[in-house]
Amino acid sequence: MADSVEAQFAAETELLALRLLPGQASSLVAAYAALRAMVALVGADYPMEAEPAHVFLPIAGAERRP
Amino acid sequence: MTAADPCCLSVAEAAALIAAKRLSPVELTRAYLDRIERLNDTLHAYVRVLHDEALSAARGAEGEIIAGRYRGPLHGIPIGLKDIYDTAGVPTEGGSKLCLGRIPASDATTTALLKKAGAILLGKLTTWEFAIGGTAFDTPFPPARNPWNVERDPAGSSSGSGAAVAAGLCAAAMGSDTGGSIRWPAAWCGLAGLKPTYGRVSRAGIMPLSFSLDHAGPLTWTVEDAAILLQAIAGHDPRDPASSDRAVPDYRATAALPELKGIRLGIARSMFERDCVASDETRAAFDGSIEVLRGLGAGITEVELPPLAVYGAAAYLIARGEGFAIHEKTLRERPRDYGALARDRLMIGAYVRASDMMQAMRRRRMLAEATASAMIEVDAILLPTVPDAAPLLGELGPYFSNERPPYMRPFNLTGQPALSVCNGFDRAGLPLSLQIVGRCFDEAMVLRIGHGYERATPWRERRPQLQ
Repeated sequence: MADSVEAQFAAETELLALRLLPGQASSLVAAYAALRAMVALVGADYPMEAEPAHVFLPIAGAERRP
Repeated sequence: MTAADPCCLSVAEAAALIAAKRLSPVELTRAYLDRIERLNDTLHAYVRVLHDEALSAARGAEGEIIAGRYRGPLHGIPIGLKDIYDTAGVPTEGGSKLCLGRIPASDATTTALLKKAGAILLGKLTTWEFAIGGTAFDTPFPPARNPWNVERDPAGSSSGSGAAVAAGLCAAAMGSDTGGSIRWPAAWCGLAGLKPTYGRVSRAGIMPLSFSLDHAGPLTWTVEDAAILLQAIAGHDPRDPASSDRAVPDYRATAALPELKGIRLGIARSMFERDCVASDETRAAFDGSIEVLRGLGAGITEVELPPLAVYGAAAYLIARGEGFAIHEKTLRERPRDYGALARDRLMIGAYVRASDMMQAMRRRRMLAEATASAMIEVDAILLPTVPDAAPLLGELGPYFSNERPPYMRPFNLTGQPALSVCNGFDRAGLPLSLQIVGRCFDEAMVLRIGHGYERATPWRERRPQLQ
């Protein structure tokens, strides 16, 4: 179980099959930590019916059969 | 630059002279090309100058005007386009090695509309790589410099657009704004920069960075000029699925309405006095602006918005998630062809999970509703555009926007129109800025307030001194 930010980052990088360039991990890990902090700030505790800002809109005319 | 220099004219001033046949579009274009020749090696505002094409177009415009076929206030006006706007037959390279030699077959919708209005394209302007790469020194194009002090950063990502308009290297320019990239260079270069409502101006043919946050809009010397450009580019475009079919009002006429009596303005004080405390000079300039607007008859009150960091977090996750989707293939196949900043800023989007993205979009709706609620009693929100004046070129850290966030991202998230105007200068002579945010599709109100403010203040009389 990954328990540090660095370990989580390494595990996700592997899972995503991302091949980082030499030295890139050290710069990306700080951005990763900031990203997880933002995820926490956005939160996940929403009412079930809370719609996202964008929902699919059918394209006009698509409902008509030729 | 002196007042007698044609490159010092606003679009509105030049247009009046051209319409009266007292200014030749050819001579005006030549004056800009000469100035570009003199200054671009210092400022790096242009990545490509279309010398012969511009003169040819200017001759065509002049012929039409002499023949009585005047098209309107952009006819014969020389402009520049950020190099993510497609231009048929002219390279559009997005500031990236990945796109060197990329020649679009057709114009972006905005490019085509500006040409139709008679504007003369002087060239393509420097951009941060793919409008995200920051001030970088490892891409094929050197970063643009700030005309008010060439050691300073002009901001971005529409860096060349800001530098070119401020330096008088074009009469107006187009930029794009995903998290502030029109308003930020406008702020640091002392310009008017308008991010219209999401859907008001087509994004078709402009390199995307974030589908739901990208906006296209003008950077100009005056607010009136921004109204002129918006008039030419606003409207429905079937090529852009987010494009609105709402009617387009007469922006210039509305902006010119006298006084601001009856208009109610709300100060979003918590953003710049609590969430990210603006510099003393920024706050002093803001307070001065409020007194000017009050003097023009506007009613002033306070509004409370959700925390800046929450808007920023939702916008960041959405922008990075969407950005990675756009660039995933090339990031995986050609990572070395990106500059380091663009590569890192795009690649971090891989770590945005599907659920993170959807929660951010749910939060986005809530924030948009909260912002709209805060505006029930006011016609516009006021706050600075950025907390500080321009730093030295290269001084911004890679995560500057997270550490000391500008006040622009909330309105990419909500899609509201937002205008940055110059509201003074700091002790070092660098521009400061005021941001005016309206209700969705009420650009007319934003422009009216900005134009009223601009006419009541002396800031448009000062120009960068360049040798």
